[in-house]
Amino acid sequence: MKDEKENEEQAEDISPSEIVEKIKELGQTNVPEAPESNIHVLTIIGQVEGHMQLPPQNKTTKYEHILPQLIAIEQNPKIEGVIILLNTVGGDVEAGLALSEMIASMSKPSVSIVLGGGHSIGVPIATAANYSFIAPTATMTIHPIRLTGLVIGVPQTFEYLDKMQDRVIQFVVNHSNISEKHFKELMFAKGNLTRDIGTNLVGVEAVDYKLINDVGGVKDAMSKINELISKVKQGNDL
Amino acid sequence: MVLYTPLSYHEVFPEQMEGYKYVTYQGRTLYVKETEHGELQLVQLMSTDPQDYLNTSLTPGTILENEFVQQRK
Repeated sequence: MKDEKENEEQAEDISPSEIVEKIKELGQTNVPEAPESNIHVLTIIGQVEGHMQLPPQNKTTKYEHILPQLIAIEQNPKIEGVIILLNTVGGDVEAGLALSEMIASMSKPSVSIVLGGGHSIGVPIATAANYSFIAPTATMTIHPIRLTGLVIGVPQTFEYLDKMQDRVIQFVVNHSNISEKHFKELMFAKGNLTRDIGTNLVGVEAVDYKLINDVGGVKDAMSKINELISKVKQGNDL
Repeated sequence: MVLYTPLSYHEVFPEQMEGYKYVTYQGRTLYVKETEHGELQLVQLMSTDPQDYLNTSLTPGTILENEFVQQRK
């Protein structure tokens, strides 16, 4: 009896022809679904798109979609944790910092895995999670921010850039174990990158510099997020 | 019109912005773009319900099924 009532309620949302199709194909109206996961996955891929839309051939992370998703994750009682997968070349500083601040200010535990690349603005996003992992072959480029558009040749332009850069430095230093001195050394290093200033850290180097918590992958991230989830359930701080 | 933004005029009003429009789809407002094949592709979901953003059929880039689309006037 109860099943019939449930079917009726769900059938109201589906049009009659869809139900007929389902009965024809499967012999039943409701397809069994996989159980809902208590852990959600956020992928930060390609370029972090900012206030301007990038041309369509670019793979982008659209912050205007991810920010409400993070609110939904925070609000939804069934979701207990978030895994953040990163393979990004960087992108807009403001959008990247917006994502980083949202991730960092969630009450639910988050674990990030840097795969492939976690360049530029990917660094704050990776460190925003409660715990961060980097795959052994993944790489992170630490370099100064750059400006596009009409640039006026006055000292104030540099001071402005320096202030914007400080936003990124402060975030990374506050959310990881690297010191400001070391992070700036990496950022302003000469001779490492071709025709650019900065440093490329591969896998374990990021951990050695205390930027990322540990080297690891899927298995390590899953066990860490489960550990953090049970910590929260026991009422302890993350 | 009075604008208050650091962007230049041409960044705010690019010369070519055709094919973009708002439609209603499954009860929600979407910002869509017409593709070369005449289909509608989701650019941005405009919703105040956070759970809508977890709906996999409403992620940016999805091609909409025409029977559920209602044009907005």
